[in-house]
Amino acid sequence: MAFCRWLENLPWVVELTGNAVQISLVWLFHFLGFILVVGTTAVVDLRILGLAGKQQNLTALAKFLFPWTWLGLFFVTVSGFLMFAGYAGQEYPAGVFWIKLGVFFLAVIVGVIVQKSAPRWDHMSAIPTSAKAIAVLSLVLWFGMILASVEVPAFIACI
Amino acid sequence: MESIAHFLQNLPLILWLGSSDHAYPFVQLTHFGGLSLWVSTCLMLDIRLLGFGKKLLTPAKLLDSIFVWNWIGLAIAVTGGFTLFCIAAGNYIVNPAFEVKIYMILPVALLTHIFVQWKTREWGQTEETPMVAKLAGGFEFLLWMSVMTAAIWIPNY
Repeated sequence: MAFCRWLENLPWVVELTGNAVQISLVWLFHFLGFILVVGTTAVVDLRILGLAGKQQNLTALAKFLFPWTWLGLFFVTVSGFLMFAGYAGQEYPAGVFWIKLGVFFLAVIVGVIVQKSAPRWDHMSAIPTSAKAIAVLSLVLWFGMILASVEVPAFIACI
Repeated sequence: MESIAHFLQNLPLILWLGSSDHAYPFVQLTHFGGLSLWVSTCLMLDIRLLGFGKKLLTPAKLLDSIFVWNWIGLAIAVTGGFTLFCIAAGNYIVNPAFEVKIYMILPVALLTHIFVQWKTREWGQTEETPMVAKLAGGFEFLLWMSVMTAAIWIPNY
């Protein structure tokens, strides 16, 4: 907790959090990253489920989309840390913040499994049920993370 | 406009959504979930038109893969967005950032996107895209970034 207080009182963090233009820029990168991660992952998951681009090769689609997923993940992580830094003392003890982080890491792990396995699934005669179950799990986790994310500011506003 | 905003804001369902700790986050989830699908699929097509990932799939094939979910994403985002608007309609109609987003940049971005999708069938049959496709993709990318910037600026008023 002392670390959180130290972090949120760093001069550059105070300046960033209090400056509308600078913090809006951080928010822009956070939203852009978030949209890239969730959207690109969802398209691959929907393709695995047979609900999008059935005539398109899964490997090619995944290879095109995943670099943007990782770029989005980079934006989300860096901007997310900057946003956390300004309210570290309030967010650190918030249960919903840890739920969000937990769901986020689980979603990333499932995303890596999908990325590694997609070419193998694509070479099978039909995409296996286990792959479809993983795709559903991935979708649930990412949309669950959105839900947890919108709860964090609401929680902070309450305290 | 004020009377419409007042009417929307006081609908029983909207009053309940706005005051419910449990329902309101789901309205936000609808908006942000839909946006993730809509904007990311728009940006992916723009990025491909700009020339990224040219060895993997043509813009026309990418468009075929994302087309349906692109528009489903918009429908979900508009449903959530309109509900969020209704909850605080009185505040939104006097917010300059909201006005810039809804009345200026968003219609231009939407029309540009429809044009880009329509022309992708012509521009996107081969690996290499013509210069006009790159310019259109880059222009649309910037428009969606502008829409997002205006949306982020709304709470500052």
